[in-house]
Amino acid sequence: MNWNDYEAIWKRQELPVGAGADLATLRGAFEKKRRKLAATLFMRDILEAVAGVFASGVFAYSWWHVGKEAWPMVFAIALILGISGFFVRERFRAHRLRLGPDVPLVAKVEADIAELRHQRHLLLNIWSWYLAPCGGAIAIGGATVVRVLIIKAQPELFSALLQNPAALAWIFAYVGIVLPLSFWGAWVLNRRAVRKQIEPRLEELEKLHQSLLT
Amino acid sequence: MSPPANHEATFQAWLEEHRGIFVKVARSFARGETEVGELQQEMMFQLWLSLPRFANQAKPSTWIYRVCLNTALTWRRGAQRRESRIEPEADLSRLAADAATPAETAGNKDLLEQLYSALQAMPPSERALVLLMLDGLAYRDIAEVTGMTENHVGVALTRARKRLAALLKGVTDELE
Repeated sequence: MNWNDYEAIWKRQELPVGAGADLATLRGAFEKKRRKLAATLFMRDILEAVAGVFASGVFAYSWWHVGKEAWPMVFAIALILGISGFFVRERFRAHRLRLGPDVPLVAKVEADIAELRHQRHLLLNIWSWYLAPCGGAIAIGGATVVRVLIIKAQPELFSALLQNPAALAWIFAYVGIVLPLSFWGAWVLNRRAVRKQIEPRLEELEKLHQSLLT
Repeated sequence: MSPPANHEATFQAWLEEHRGIFVKVARSFARGETEVGELQQEMMFQLWLSLPRFANQAKPSTWIYRVCLNTALTWRRGAQRRESRIEPEADLSRLAADAATPAETAGNKDLLEQLYSALQAMPPSERALVLLMLDGLAYRDIAEVTGMTENHVGVALTRARKRLAALLKGVTDELE
């Protein structure tokens, strides 16, 4: 058998004729799925930014509550809002650069590869744009609280703390164990996502790209 | 934003005229009735979403091939994908059933099944090229769908055809 035979077999196949489905049914199903997809994307886009705004609100409230002595909180707020801004900017960038499936295969694969490489870069460097600013904001917040306590001279609080080893232990456990563990966990989870999800997909697409171009 | 009414008419016309493309691409890239049906649904959904961007700059068939092949090439199987699929409605289920069991004659069906099996054994890029070639697209049209140069299409197709022939050799020898 040769190519012409394959073509003949291919063309002889009986394919379903006509639309095969009622347009109203399809429209209903597609619109439902489109709305669900749009809602999911919208939630994903705003969730991280809203979390940052909420955290900034907590810092701002502390500042307002404590008074002008807590002015260094402004740096913590700036760091948290900076992370939110970064998330928003990333989402806009992703929306702007995303190509639909109606572009030629090579262009689509190249765009997907570029996006995956960008995501890999972000996740591998999460300490620089997320963990470090978060840690900085928490450190500034904590330092500000201590500073205010010292300025406002509340020796009874310090002496009460010193006389309460359980409270001291909780504070040290939070600062020395819980926070570092959370940061380490975030770092490990992101590296795992790169290894388990992004790298295999990237490899697959690079192979596809290579085979389309060579 | 949902497509306006004229897009709906276009969509219906495309389904009427080019439904075979969905079936052939789905059968080449997915295995089993369920997956073929799911992939067809996904391709139709992506085509629906792409309608507002269609501005008659490409032939409808080129546009549909692009959407279908891009969707098939980036389609991820798995539970997560299956969970997010459109709930099977009567008409959509019928589409999948039609696609998986067309009423080919027995001999043709055997050969056709072997051809689809061979296509599925090929690398995805070659599979796409051979599918377009079997559908009778000219090199220029294939280049437009894939984004490759015409020369490159020729070179890649020669390689893909050799691979297809090698894959089908045992089968055709048996049949002959």
